[in-house]
This record gives sequence, structure tokens and C-alpha cells, in this order.
Amino acid sequence: MDKKYGVYICTGCGIVKTHPCLCGKEGVEFLKKEIADEGVNTLVIAACSRRVNFDVFRFDGCIVDRVNLREQVVWSHPRTKYPAPTEEQKDDETFIDHVQMMAEDYVKMGMAKVEKIDLPEPYQLENFSRKILVIGGGITGVSAAIEAAKVGYEVTIVEKEGTLGGYASKIRKQMPVEDPYENLISPVIDGKIKELDAYPNISVKTGAVVARIAGQPGDFTVTFKKPGDKIEFDVPFPVPPEKKVDENGKELDADQIYEIYLEMNKGRQDILALDPNGESFGAVILAAGWRPADITGEEYAHLGIDESSDVVTNHQFEEIAAKGKIIRPSDGKEAKSVVFIQSPGKGEDDADFDYCGAVTSLVSLKQAKYVCEDYDDGKSYIFYQHMRTPGLQENFYKSIQQTDGIFLTKGEVCNVSKSDDGLVVEADNTLLGEKIKVKADMVVLAAGMVPATADDPVVNLAYRQGPAFRDIGLFNGYSDSNFICFPYETQRTGIYAAGAVRRSMTIEESMEDATGAALKAIQCLESTNRGVSVHPRSGDMTFPDFFFQRCTQCKRCTEECPFGALDDDEKGTPKLNPTRCRRCGTCMGACPERIINFADYNIDSIGSMVKAIGVPSEDDYDEPPLRILALVCENDAYPALDILGMNRLQYSANVRVIPVRCLGSVNVIWIKDALAQGLDGIFLLGCKHGDDYQCHFIKGSELAEIRMQKIGDALSSLALESERVQMFEVAIDEYDKLPNMIDSFVEEIEGLGPNPFKGF
Amino acid sequence: MAERYLVEPDVDFIKEVTALGGGDVKKCFQCATCSVVCPISPDNKPFPRKEMIAASWGLKDKLVNNLDIWLCHQCGDCSTMCPRGAKPGDVLAAVRSYAITEYATPKCVAKAVNNPKKLPLLIGIPAIIFAVLAYVTSMFSESLSHGTPSDIIAHTNFISTWFVDLVFIPLTIWIIAVFGLGLKRFVKDMHENAVLEGKTDKKDFELVGFLKAFGKIIVPVLKHEKFTECTENKDRATPHMMVLYSFIGLFIVTNIFFVALYILHMPGPYSQMNPVKWLANISGVALIIGGALMIKNRLARKDQVSSYKDWYLIGLVLGLGLTGMLAEMTRLGGIAWLSYFVYYVHLILVFNLFAFLPFSKMAHLVYRLVAMAYAEYGNRGFNS
Repeated sequence: MDKKYGVYICTGCGIVKTHPCLCGKEGVEFLKKEIADEGVNTLVIAACSRRVNFDVFRFDGCIVDRVNLREQVVWSHPRTKYPAPTEEQKDDETFIDHVQMMAEDYVKMGMAKVEKIDLPEPYQLENFSRKILVIGGGITGVSAAIEAAKVGYEVTIVEKEGTLGGYASKIRKQMPVEDPYENLISPVIDGKIKELDAYPNISVKTGAVVARIAGQPGDFTVTFKKPGDKIEFDVPFPVPPEKKVDENGKELDADQIYEIYLEMNKGRQDILALDPNGESFGAVILAAGWRPADITGEEYAHLGIDESSDVVTNHQFEEIAAKGKIIRPSDGKEAKSVVFIQSPGKGEDDADFDYCGAVTSLVSLKQAKYVCEDYDDGKSYIFYQHMRTPGLQENFYKSIQQTDGIFLTKGEVCNVSKSDDGLVVEADNTLLGEKIKVKADMVVLAAGMVPATADDPVVNLAYRQGPAFRDIGLFNGYSDSNFICFPYETQRTGIYAAGAVRRSMTIEESMEDATGAALKAIQCLESTNRGVSVHPRSGDMTFPDFFFQRCTQCKRCTEECPFGALDDDEKGTPKLNPTRCRRCGTCMGACPERIINFADYNIDSIGSMVKAIGVPSEDDYDEPPLRILALVCENDAYPALDILGMNRLQYSANVRVIPVRCLGSVNVIWIKDALAQGLDGIFLLGCKHGDDYQCHFIKGSELAEIRMQKIGDALSSLALESERVQMFEVAIDEYDKLPNMIDSFVEEIEGLGPNPFKGF
Repeated sequence: MAERYLVEPDVDFIKEVTALGGGDVKKCFQCATCSVVCPISPDNKPFPRKEMIAASWGLKDKLVNNLDIWLCHQCGDCSTMCPRGAKPGDVLAAVRSYAITEYATPKCVAKAVNNPKKLPLLIGIPAIIFAVLAYVTSMFSESLSHGTPSDIIAHTNFISTWFVDLVFIPLTIWIIAVFGLGLKRFVKDMHENAVLEGKTDKKDFELVGFLKAFGKIIVPVLKHEKFTECTENKDRATPHMMVLYSFIGLFIVTNIFFVALYILHMPGPYSQMNPVKWLANISGVALIIGGALMIKNRLARKDQVSSYKDWYLIGLVLGLGLTGMLAEMTRLGGIAWLSYFVYYVHLILVFNLFAFLPFSKMAHLVYRLVAMAYAEYGNRGFNS
């Protein structure tokens, strides 16, 4: 498009000149008039942060860039510290007006940016399906189907068993799901299954599983099969890393790896082959549920599980209870004294069994009640390290507690052994005293709920990165991306997890979860249909654009994409699936050829912004101020910088900030160019990674750190100190830590002295 | 290493405690707020947290022999602060009541005292005894007189003092015997429990040292020092003190008049100017006021459990005071039939209080005193 530029500076909020208040009614009218009468279509608005008034300064069909003079310049660099020149100083060439220089740089950077970006156009799918596939016909799947059908979406439930219901239909009673949350109730699943009949837009496939899901959100092609069948559209698996090297540890070349891939997946079609008989779906809800955890092995030997058949898991106990009165497996005698063990115990370790949670606490209360219901003189003991009864389930706990024959204590269970007629459970550090023992007819261990996705990919995605969600070593097999920040979202756009595949949970929680996932699936369909990103950059119209002529088929983009958005063909040329993409730009950061760009965010636009930063040299001043580039993640770090400004905290005026979509999108060329240009130091500011990662794109900040380490080596070879490029992590609420973080970096660079390339 | 304790919950015990007013015990979730707020709990092994779990698990063997249940004065601070409404104060009261039954012989009497259905029997027995005695007195009035003129209104002319004493002196011996048997077991069990749970530094029980401890606690008890440390139920201390002192006063009066009658041969009724009579009247009035205040306090406290055992005792206390004073007033007022009737009721009430002393809540007088003395002797840290 032919651009007509307009730069507008707001003098409101204490900024320098031109319009007194751009965001006010008059200001906006003024801008609209400029657009209508003067034909301006590319605006640089130098005022407040882009994070505020974004709706006020949105002009359809116009490129708008916001230069953050308020939070980033004026509020965080006050005149009290950086005084304006006096009348005499105005002519003094040695006087440095830091704030003025800063503001000028930012306006220049904004102008450089708008010159290099274009208006994005939405990506429209050729074939768009509005149908939702629900994998799993248990309480979660059935609830999700009902929720989605209620608002008019067509839903198909696929269930591997012959009937719907899942685990929820195999139990004697369940925890309450509504007020007053006090008593055990009959399983709600039967009612839910009946409810399905009322919706003609729900179809059910029982005795079937997903062989593969190919394509992308809005246009998935799904192949179903009978469980256990082998068919040509079974999903192929990628070559594992250990097979990509020969006996000597040398990496095999692409052709050899491809050979191995074909060998491994004989009889199966490649991921790019579409099943002509496949069914179309737009989004998938994964409600595959769980299986009871095994409790075996040396670790649990002291609990007597191998010694006596009367030591059972909560799952086995439920099977007994569902059949009738509680009886001992060993001899069929009435079990009137039952001990429930919540934690393996042993010494200092107070952890529960693997894959446990609040649900296992609640189940022990439920099952304890069975014993007292079956026998007037029944006694149930619960030994726990943690008794978790969240929300109104507290009422359930209170009501169960009132049963005379139920006894609860915290304690470490140290031994379960056989006695003359039954079992003896020994526990230490209980509320009753240091060392106690109890006689029992049966012992029940609180085994956890292993998500179905821990054993099997279930979703069987025809994605180059593999059929399952990537195991990033944090989720224990649960299907998730970030449990706190992005519930239901998996690492694959368009696939939304609910129920026990997300964490161990109760029937009540699963039903609520189902609603959440159904809403997410609907959001995905509607966003995809409009050609915009689903989440977390909801509404973003851009998508990566590849300049394939220069592609070297290095596959870095395919491999590094956190969301598996790219598939490559046998040669290694990437194939983008735009609706899988979350627009983080990790591919853009990864590409060594720099051929991946977004309409409004690309190698050139950021590169030009870097070039627009004025670098004062010794020609200008005797002691020229340093220039530090900050590439700041716009998800958490950039807001933290804004909050810093709002709180009138300060940091060095030598820093120039450029927001980036994710640190994963930072291409090393920007770093190289900045150093070549004479900038003295560069720091990256992004989200935390590791166990408690906060990266909105899962791997972005981690990838950036790896890349920056590599660039450190390159700097050393240029005789530049590797300390000149560093990366920091910050949480959104840690704005108060930023001044010190930034200033110490600036000090460190001052210690190193100016960039030797300055002035060349 | 200590022997591993075999936990054997007794569900019937939980049911009994519930029936005795400790029905909220199962609500306890062991946060120990009660032990923290209790103003009189010692730092070492504080109560009542551990008593609460023992009670909710039905561990009778950890409770009836437990010295700490008697150190509690049921001041109610714990019940007020309890975040779950488990009412530890009332639970301990129920457990004490159970413990009294446990150490009393014969048990059937103890059970009857705590059973409202048996009340007609408890009233009926003395009613018949005294009715028969009144009849006998009327038949042989001359020969049964101590020298009291038969033409004046005197209660001995209605039921001979001989007969009254013939009832109460054996009763006294019976009470002492029942308490003696109970205390022998109680002190032994209490000591064993204290040693086991590390609540005392004395390994072997030594009687002399234990008896000496009574001397140290008597003044604090009379001053109600522990009682006044409570905040929630502070208002209970005054009526309790009034009732206690009036009983002491009446005990002294009874003994003086006993001596006067049988040794000095001075039969009543005595002059109202007699200082002993003053003491009697003051005590009587204090008993009525104390009893009435207790009822008022209990009725005002909706959050505190008041069970039959409590009402039975308070009813007796107030009834005793009222009938005693009324019998005297009607005698002085010259209404013979009314005075004799009230005296008859008075005797039935005295019989109830006296005969069932080791079985009713009233037994706390003895058990608490013994437990406090033991705490002093065993260095429980209760009085420090």
C-alpha cells in the first residue's frame, strides 16, 4: 500500500507538544479528520504505552504504532534527575539532554518501524468445519458434548468401550455435586447419558478410537478405527533422537533419517497423506480420562500389597463396593475394620502416592462411609499426610467426620503386616501419639489417577513433531500447556483437554472442566473462522510468511515450533498450518536464513528500529553516553516496565527498549547488527522458564537463552566480551526489581567500556 | 522405646459421651486452637487437643484415667474459640461425667443418676422412707422427743431427728466407702496414665507427698484462682463460689447442731439470735442466690450444652436452698402443715444430693480436688 505518514505527539500527561490530549474526544476527532481529509493511513502516535487506550487509537485500515513517551520516557526518567538545559546550556554542545535524546530515539524508531510493516490480512481456510470431536465418553466427554450442543454446535463423541459412561458408571456412589455438598449421592452419569438424547446434534461412536487427526484447527481430517486394529492411516511416529545417530554417535544425514522413518512406519501413510474417508472436524475436546495407578514395587513393600490380598487399592475397593457389601478378598469375610492409607509414609517424606490429589482424599472419605453404611459396628480409619477437601467439599468432609465409626489422623504409616486374623497397621507421629497400631480386616491404598495420555498419545496427531503432546518434562503425562495461566489449552492449538487427562479430579470438577474446554473449542472455531489467532494472542491476524526460494531445509522452524504448527515434506521444506500457529514468532527467531516474517513484525522492522537508535560517538561528545538495547517480551516483561513507569521508579536513560512478541522470536541477526552498529550492550527481558515457567509460548525464553549462549561464543571470537549480551527473567509483578536489574547491567557494561566497533 | 499403642476405638463410648453433652466432639479437626487459648492448660502436653482426638476415636482408656480432664474448669474459652464448633469444654464435661460413672460402685446407681427416666425412682425411694418415718414419728411422738416440747412447731415433731440421723449417718458411711473404693482405683490409674504420657516427673507414687499437696492447693481452690483465669465464663465463678461456701457453712452448722443435740443435749429449734443460726441463714440465702444465678447463666448461654446431668444438680442445689429457707420461714410463721410438707420435700432433696454424691456431677468436688492435688504433687505445671 502507498503509505501516507502522520506523526502525532500528545502533550497531555506532561509530554512535550502538538496536541494537548490525543486520547480525548477532540484528539481522536483530530486524528480521524487527518485520516479522512489528509489521507493519512500510517500513524505514529507518540503518547502513552501501547498497553493503554489501544481501543481509542484503533483506526481500521490504518497502520498505527504507539511510541511510549509516557511510561517509558517521562515517568521513568524525570527532569529532577535529568534536567532540561538552561538558556545558557542550550548552545552548549557538550551538554547532554538525556531525556530529549531518548524521546527522539523512540520517535525515530517508531517511524522506522511503520515504514517496514504492512497491514495484515486474515488467513481463510478453504474447507472450514464447525464440528467438534469429543474423545472419550465418560462424565467429562458427555458433559462437554452437552455443553457444546446446547449452544448449537455439532458434536461427535468417540468412546473406545462399547458403552458410554466410563469410570463414573462403575462406582457405588459418588461425592456430592451440589448444595449442600454433604452426602454421598448416586452416580450422576446415568442422568447425563439420558440427557444426550435431547440433542439431535450429538452423535456417538462407541467401540472406536482415533487412528489419526490430520490437518489443522477448523479443518481436521479424522480417521477412526476399532481399538487394536492396524490400518494404513494409523499415525506414523517420528524418528526418536537416539536413532538419528550412527554407532559412533555421528549424526546421520537427512536422507538416512528419512529411510529410517519409512522403515519404522511401514504400512502407514505419511502425515501429509489425507484419508479420503476421514471425517472433518474443526476442534477437538480431549476427555480420555484415566486409569488407576499401580502400586507395586520395593518402594511400597512396607504396605504389604504383595503380602496380603486384603491390601487393595481404592480402585479395587470401589469394585468390591459396587458389587455389594464390603467383604475381604482373601476369604469373603465381612470387612468391618478398614484402614485407608493416603500417603506411603516412611520417614520425612510426606508425599502422597503418585497422581494423587484432592480427589483421592475425598474418595477415602467416601469409601470410609461405605464401611459404616454396610455395618453398624463398622470402623474406618484414615491415615493421611494431607486431607484435601477444596471448596464446598469441605461440607462433605464435615459430614463424613460426624460418623461415629470414622477415625481420621495425620500420620506416617510405617508398616502393614499380617496377624492371626487380619492385618495390623503401624503408624508414627500421629495425632494420637508417637507410635500406634490398629487392627484391620482390610487396608486400602489411595492410588492416584494416571492420565490416559501418560500411556498413549490418544489424539494421534499427524504432526511432524509426533502424534502426542510434546513431553517437556514438566507435566507428568498430563495434557496441558500451563495449568494456571492457560487451562484447557494443550500444546496443540485446537485440541482442548478436560477432566482427568488434565489432573486428578472429581466428577464434579470434571463436569466443570468439560464446560471450560467446550468454551475453548468454540473460541477456536470462531477465531479460526475469522482468520485470526485463537490464543494467547487472541485476534492477531498475522501469520508467518515464508520466502521459500531461500529456504535451506534445515528444519529448525519445524523442530522448534512449540506448537507443532509446521510439517515438512520429505525434502524438509516446511509446510505451514496457519490455524495451528499461535503467532509467537519462534520460527522467525530460529530461521538462520531470516526468511520467516509477519506482516507487522519482521526481521526488517525490528532491525530498522535498532538502526534508528542514535549512537553518540567520541566525535559528538568527549564522553559519549552508552547505548544499551533492551529486547523485551511484551507478555509480562513489557507490562512490568510500564508498571515501573506508573510507579515512577527509574532506570538508566541509556537504555532503548524494543518490545518483541516472545524472546523465542529474537533472531540473532538483530544482536549482531546492534553490536556492529556500536551499541554497547544488549539485554533480553523475558518470562521465567524451568519448572515454574511463565513463558506464554512454553519454550520461548528457554530457546532464547540457548541462542544467547551460542552468540556469546561468537562474540568471544570477535574479541567482544560475552557479557555484553545477557538475558534476564522477570515476572509481571516484579516491576520493583527491574531498576536494579537494568542498572546493574548498565554498570557492568560501563565497566567493560564502550563497544570498540563504535564509530566504524 | 515405648510400646506401640494398640488403638481400639469404642464406638459405644462415643455414643455415651454424645448423650452426656459431648455430641460435637466429632467436629474436631485437631487444629489445637483449644490448647492454645486455654488459660489454665500447662505448657507440657497441653489439653484439651489430645483429649478431643481420644474422645472422637472412642479411646476410653486414655480419658477416664486422665488427670487433665479434671484440671479443666469448663471455663468455655476453648468452645468459644473453636473454629469448628466442636465445644471441647462440653466434651470434657461429658467425659468427666462418664469418668464419675466409671469409678462409682455400684454402676447401676450411677447410670440411674444420669438417666432422666429414673428420676421418679430417685425421688420415690426417699419419699417413701421419709413418709414411713413421719408416720412412725406421729405414732410414737412422746418417746422419740429429745425434749422438744410437742406443742410447738418443730420439724422433729414431724419426723424425729433420730430417724433423720439414722438415715443420714449410714449414708455418710456409704458415701465415704464408695468414694474410697473409687478413689483408690482413680489415683492408681491417674498416676499410671500420667507416667505413661509423661505428665509427671514422679515414677513411684508416694502417699505422704500426695497428701501434703492438698495443703498447697486448698487456698487457691477456695479463692477459685483457676476459675477466675477464664474469660468466657467468668460470670460462673461467683455463683459457684457462693454455692460452695454455703455448703461449707451448712456443713459446719449441721455438725455444731449435731454436737449440740447429742452431746450437749440442747434440742432445737434454736433462737434466731444464735450466731450459728446466723451462719445457717446466710448460707441458705447464698445457696438460693447462687443456684438461681447458675440457672440464669446456663439459660443465657445458648452455645453451651446443658444436659440432664447439669440440670439435675442445679435443680437440687436451688431446691435445697429454697425448701430449707421456706421450711424455716413457715415454721416461724406458724403454718405447721406447710412447714412440715416443705421440710419433707427438703429431706427428699437432701437425700438425693447426699446419697448420690459419688455418682452425680457433684462428685467433681472430690475428683477435681484429688486431681488438682495430684497435679501439684506430680509437678504437672498446672499451678505454676
